[in-house]
Amino acid sequence: MSLRVLNPNAEVLNKSAALHMNINAAKGLQDVLKTNLGPKGTIKMLVGGAGDIKLTKDGNTLLKEMQIQNPTAIMIARTAVAQDDASGDGTTSTVLFIGELMKQSERYIDEGMHPRVLVDGFEIAKRATLQFLEKFKTPVVMGEEPDKEILKMVARTTLRTKLYEALADQLTDIVANAVLCIRKPEEPIDLFMVEIMHMRHKFDVDTRLVEGLVLDHGSRHPDMKRRAENCYILTCNVSLEYEKSEINAGFFYTNAEQREAMVAAERRSVDERVQKIIDLKNKVCTSNDNNFVVINQKGIDPPSLDFLAREGIIALRRAKRRNMERLVLACGGEAVNSVDDLNPDCLGWAGLVYEHVLGEEKYTFVENVKNPHSCTILIKGPNDHTIAQIKDAVRDGLRAVKNTIEDEAVVLGAGAFEVAARQYLVNEVKKSVQGRAQLGVEAFADALLVVPKTLAENSGLDTQDVIIALTGEHDKGNVVGLSQHTGEPIDPQMEGIFDNYSVKRQIINSGPVIASQLLLVDEVIRAGRNMRKPN
Amino acid sequence: MREIVTVQVGSYANFIGSHFWNFQDELLGLADNPESDDIFNNHNLDMNVLYRSGETHQGIPTYTPRLVSVDFQGLLGSVSSRGTLYNEAPASPGCVSTWTGGVTTHSSEPLKKNLFLESLHLEDEAVGNTSSDSWKNGSRSEIQDKDIVECLENGVQYWTDFSKVHYHPQSLYELSGLWMDIEDFNNYGFGRDVFSGGLRGEEINERLRFFIEECDHAQGIQFVVDDTGGFSGVAGEFLENIADEYANIPVLLYRVSPDTSIDPKSRKQTISRNLHDVVSFSRLSALCKLVVPVGLPSLSRSRTSSFLRVEDEKPYHTSAVYASAIHSISLPFRMEQLGPSAQSSYTCGAMSVNDLVQILAGQSRQNIISILDVSMPAPSFTGYPAQQSLLENLQPLTPDVAEDAEDFQAVESMTVHGVYRAGRQRASITEVKDAVQAAYDNAVTRPKFSHLSVARCPLPVPLPFPSIFGNLIGQHGELLDTPISGPASRGSLEVHSIPMAARLRSSNAILPFLENRLGNLRKFGIARGALGTELLRNWGFGKDELEDIGETLSKMFTTLNPYSEESSDSD
Repeated sequence: MSLRVLNPNAEVLNKSAALHMNINAAKGLQDVLKTNLGPKGTIKMLVGGAGDIKLTKDGNTLLKEMQIQNPTAIMIARTAVAQDDASGDGTTSTVLFIGELMKQSERYIDEGMHPRVLVDGFEIAKRATLQFLEKFKTPVVMGEEPDKEILKMVARTTLRTKLYEALADQLTDIVANAVLCIRKPEEPIDLFMVEIMHMRHKFDVDTRLVEGLVLDHGSRHPDMKRRAENCYILTCNVSLEYEKSEINAGFFYTNAEQREAMVAAERRSVDERVQKIIDLKNKVCTSNDNNFVVINQKGIDPPSLDFLAREGIIALRRAKRRNMERLVLACGGEAVNSVDDLNPDCLGWAGLVYEHVLGEEKYTFVENVKNPHSCTILIKGPNDHTIAQIKDAVRDGLRAVKNTIEDEAVVLGAGAFEVAARQYLVNEVKKSVQGRAQLGVEAFADALLVVPKTLAENSGLDTQDVIIALTGEHDKGNVVGLSQHTGEPIDPQMEGIFDNYSVKRQIINSGPVIASQLLLVDEVIRAGRNMRKPN
Repeated sequence: MREIVTVQVGSYANFIGSHFWNFQDELLGLADNPESDDIFNNHNLDMNVLYRSGETHQGIPTYTPRLVSVDFQGLLGSVSSRGTLYNEAPASPGCVSTWTGGVTTHSSEPLKKNLFLESLHLEDEAVGNTSSDSWKNGSRSEIQDKDIVECLENGVQYWTDFSKVHYHPQSLYELSGLWMDIEDFNNYGFGRDVFSGGLRGEEINERLRFFIEECDHAQGIQFVVDDTGGFSGVAGEFLENIADEYANIPVLLYRVSPDTSIDPKSRKQTISRNLHDVVSFSRLSALCKLVVPVGLPSLSRSRTSSFLRVEDEKPYHTSAVYASAIHSISLPFRMEQLGPSAQSSYTCGAMSVNDLVQILAGQSRQNIISILDVSMPAPSFTGYPAQQSLLENLQPLTPDVAEDAEDFQAVESMTVHGVYRAGRQRASITEVKDAVQAAYDNAVTRPKFSHLSVARCPLPVPLPFPSIFGNLIGQHGELLDTPISGPASRGSLEVHSIPMAARLRSSNAILPFLENRLGNLRKFGIARGALGTELLRNWGFGKDELEDIGETLSKMFTTLNPYSEESSDSD
């Protein structure tokens, strides 16, 4: 082969070997993730070499934890993770779908069919399926007051695939309320405005929604109050610590007095800034019922803390950058970058601010705020891996709710869409296609069934029976999904099982693209990669 | 208090850090032990500068490094990233409280702890149940120090293998989900994507914030980055965030690289490596107050190791030397700041990170690149002719440094600690001061300005320190006239402490370093039809960016060498 002449070390796999390598990799990845799917899937516990535990039921997390080496598998994994980045869910489904497309194709290719023909069929089928999805989806009118029930149903569908039912149902409300809290009309939803905070404490059912904010640090002065009511909140980004002049300023002094004077002058300017804050406090806190809290993104040094404490002000330093935004959304007011033009309008308000200490960890709760547009989901769990897993689930739930609001549509779940789309492809689209591309359409249609099939398999049901029952119902004109408990066809609408429209659309979109690329590979050349050190 | 937060990014940086923290741990241990030498009991160094006190959920007090370390997933070896101090009751695998369905467990083969870690583990347990004294004594003697040293000599694979320090659970961060081998993670572009991908950047920043929030007044960030691969990209993005968020905290950057003398296999790789070097150097140096390039192409053959027996291919060995030098440089930051008239008999010459930066980079010539020199072990001041040898013994750990550069503008900051005077006595602070003064007076070229910090406490050699001392070094690091018989390399069992001298200098001796990099950039990156243009574009550097980088470098060059305008631009 010509490449051999150029680089004698290059390894070349011929057409069929290359194809099979790709197919096997896709199937292998599918096998790993298959058991994850659905509310009856198994959770994976990964124990590292040093005894670290990771717990996950999320395809995305699992893929990231696996140290995948096979280049084909990496390609599929990247697509799947990109899917997650874009829409927040569907990683497992993407991998399953790609794997199944490859598997279905293998049958035809082994019979001598050219991959090109299959790929053409995929393309036709993909377009048809996307059109079908438009017809099939259930539109949801959002308007001013979104239908909370539908949001909860979507969130529940996602969460129940990650957590046990009771916990999932508890989180459903939290997640839906969190998104509704930060939603502003006419603006895209920024999920970062939901803070997810965790505490290693007691039991997972203690997880709750805090309307307001939880900060993971406390005041650094012993005399500051640990609990205060009716608080004015000043959110600022002003350095309240003594600094030496900037390096390039190069200040000069010739004797000790001058040096002292410079230092004193520096100190004075910090004190003046603190004084301005105190002045504002005195202006607004006329009675004893009111309190004043400063939350600063920059540092506050001990002398400044002292000053503030003496005036009864609670001060927190080095707040997260994002919390500056969140605070303003939660409490009102605005974040100030300088103390020069402080006025009462800058201040936010919270009914209750208190500190909670757990070992060396401190948490500050800013609660009872008026009309919040930011909130915190406080996750409690007995250990780190449980917390991490709940966190992942909460993120997915939030994304699902957000997607629903933005899509203004949902898709019936429990495999209903896949079965319906498959029947549509086989019964209608296939007939309109000329020639052998028909087979590509058929392969695509069968591959769609991977979702209901896997759901059935994970529930311990017989896949053949289930598929026959489902397609039978569909041909009678009923839209049905699979009941995880009985294996009987059910109406997902009645059960409240809904998936995200955008997630489905993206799976349909990206799956065939990757599968086609992998099928069309006719040579795999390994060159230049064997530069690893020998040993 | 003037806290320092340490950041270590990349495997080799962590190797160095591991040694560095071992020294600190040893100092803490020696200070607590009434049996140890007086100079260790009274080292007069404020360890709180580097360490933080905390407490676990159970209320047990802890004392851990103020450290954020970033490494590849899986490179922590048999040590858990959460450390051992804050462990909750170990969760039994199989008990999952969040899922009622099936559970599949995938366990990796548990990595076996080496002899050293095993002995630490036993010690910890022994402290836990002191009642069973007899058992403790029995098990302690099972593992001999000699075997531990030998085991480390032969089989250090991860930096955690020889670390005896307890880390805070927030300290060790692993980069996961990259799906690439560490060998392929070799350029700036990858690293940058990794940092910004997913929540990684945010998580790393959070870790740092955790430590900085606690500081009443952070004096600086000591940042060590492994510059041979994608980690410099990670560090670059990280530093950018630091510069943004903590503009007032100066960053002292050590840019370290392990032995680079191994020839790359292909031309393409050479180009890639050279370009990476330039790009990362210019990016990183733009984001800190002082940058110190560290890492010689072949440490064992350099003049630095005339008394040492370093094996270049072992990062365990080479990193020990660099860590010692970094330790010495960090001493003045921890000394007690005294008034001008007060004197301590243990330390002198305290300064903060900011002071150091002012001295080296804040003077008329604003050169932010410093050369790190070290003398390990520092010779004793035995009389007039030998005084010269201190300055001569200070040899660079910075690559591509001109040997006999004449620079009348040079500025230096030197730390000397634990040195001897004649008769195997520790020299007093004033004696060291005088001797150094005399050495400068007699030197051919003298720097324009130099700062001296002196401590009486030498570098303690912890048990897991590699056997890199030659047979001219005595038990307390003194230089002998006749070699000791026995094995050629001596380790922690034979040598217990080492007098050290280290120096940072801002001098035009760094010009060849800059010249090399500038040349490479022009040859492979900017020149028309250059071989590396495509590569650089993949890393996200367009033509404009490259020209900016070139300009920054030539500006650094001309600061140091104002008369060479033509020569540097003509090629």
